[in-house]
Amino acid sequence: MTVRIQIPTPMRQHTEGQATVEASGGSVQAVLEDLAKKYPGISQRIFENGQVRRFVNLYLNDEDVRYLDNLNTPVKDGDELSIIPAVAGG
Amino acid sequence: MDSSLERYSRQMRFYGMGEAGQKKLLDSHVTLCGCGALGTVLANSLVRAGVGHVRVVDRDFIEPSNLQRQVLFDEQDITQNLPKAEAAARKLGIINSSVHVEPVVADIDRTNILELCRDADLILDGTDNFEIRYLINDVAVKLNKPWVYGGSIGSHGQTMTILPGETPCLRCVFEAAPAPGEAGTCETAGVLSPTVSIIASYQAVEALKILSGHREQINRDLIYVDIWENIQKRIKIAKLKDTVDCPCCKHRKFEWLEGEQGTQTTSLCGRNAVQVAHRRSDKLNFEDLARHLETLGEVSYNRFLLKFNVDGHEFTVFPDGRAIIKGTSDLDKARTLYAKYVGH
Repeated sequence: MTVRIQIPTPMRQHTEGQATVEASGGSVQAVLEDLAKKYPGISQRIFENGQVRRFVNLYLNDEDVRYLDNLNTPVKDGDELSIIPAVAGG
Repeated sequence: MDSSLERYSRQMRFYGMGEAGQKKLLDSHVTLCGCGALGTVLANSLVRAGVGHVRVVDRDFIEPSNLQRQVLFDEQDITQNLPKAEAAARKLGIINSSVHVEPVVADIDRTNILELCRDADLILDGTDNFEIRYLINDVAVKLNKPWVYGGSIGSHGQTMTILPGETPCLRCVFEAAPAPGEAGTCETAGVLSPTVSIIASYQAVEALKILSGHREQINRDLIYVDIWENIQKRIKIAKLKDTVDCPCCKHRKFEWLEGEQGTQTTSLCGRNAVQVAHRRSDKLNFEDLARHLETLGEVSYNRFLLKFNVDGHEFTVFPDGRAIIKGTSDLDKARTLYAKYVGH
């Protein structure tokens, strides 16, 4: 399954400046592992001790994965996974 | 039509407002926390719309770098060295003298926020950091008052409306604030003025819906935009209210209000320095923080501390989030400097 992943501005230095990249896998976890393989460095921005960092939210097709099946949520071809951290400024 | 309402005639003609809605706006009290980029757009919208009582709270003064996006301020305000709350109130008084604008020059913290918000029908977020936002969230849930979060930086921003007991609260959606260096601040990452205007305008229309008695119309999603990358999203968050075991709205633990989380400042006697202790559960990542600060000047760090100089102040930051800021003994100023350059 190939999924389009939207990368937030603060993490784009790890994806050669790209706002959207592709990665593959059968679940959100597998897709993120594939992303980390392709773009080393991004993993530590998303995970801490194997858990998604508490200020980073993951949305699959605009649904929060926390009320789906978290990292085990299955994905299908063409899905869009957005990584959106809390926005502080104002 | 009552002739005193003539100035609102176009707004009242809108099917969702009417004269009844307008009268409710005129009878409303709002506490606006922060009067910077988001805050000036919000205050401008509310006062022009005829919200009867607007309390504008801000701790800061106006600097030249504010004028690019903080729409109520001008060069004269800087010459007169006016605090933001006062300068905003003077402008707003000229825009609409028939509503009451109450400027409050103060640093919002856990000791004053209850008094600042107790008589408000709505709390609006015009702040620039998560520490105050979690504090607003605590107070809003405790007092059962609606509030509207907005955040913006660079070309992206997000907003959501919180109706305690009805929608997820801020902590349901964002369980923790971004670590310093992870998200940047407007000082380190920059900000485009239209980003702020868009987010504040979403917040303002939510305010009009709530205050005119149309809660059924409120936005129940998290709105996210990145106007440089042409991204607009509506994230469905309503179900989080039942999914997340939220310490604030489910267990009514008000950690920021009770001082279990947040910042403490101490003047270091005789050293013209202030220690800012920011309570946090995880360690700071110096590599991330240094990357964000490098654009502002020289940064050096080892595993024990990070040092950088900006605006004539020397910062020494420790892995637990504590910082010693040299070049001031003013606690509010140190807190502001910390929020600007280290972030929450």
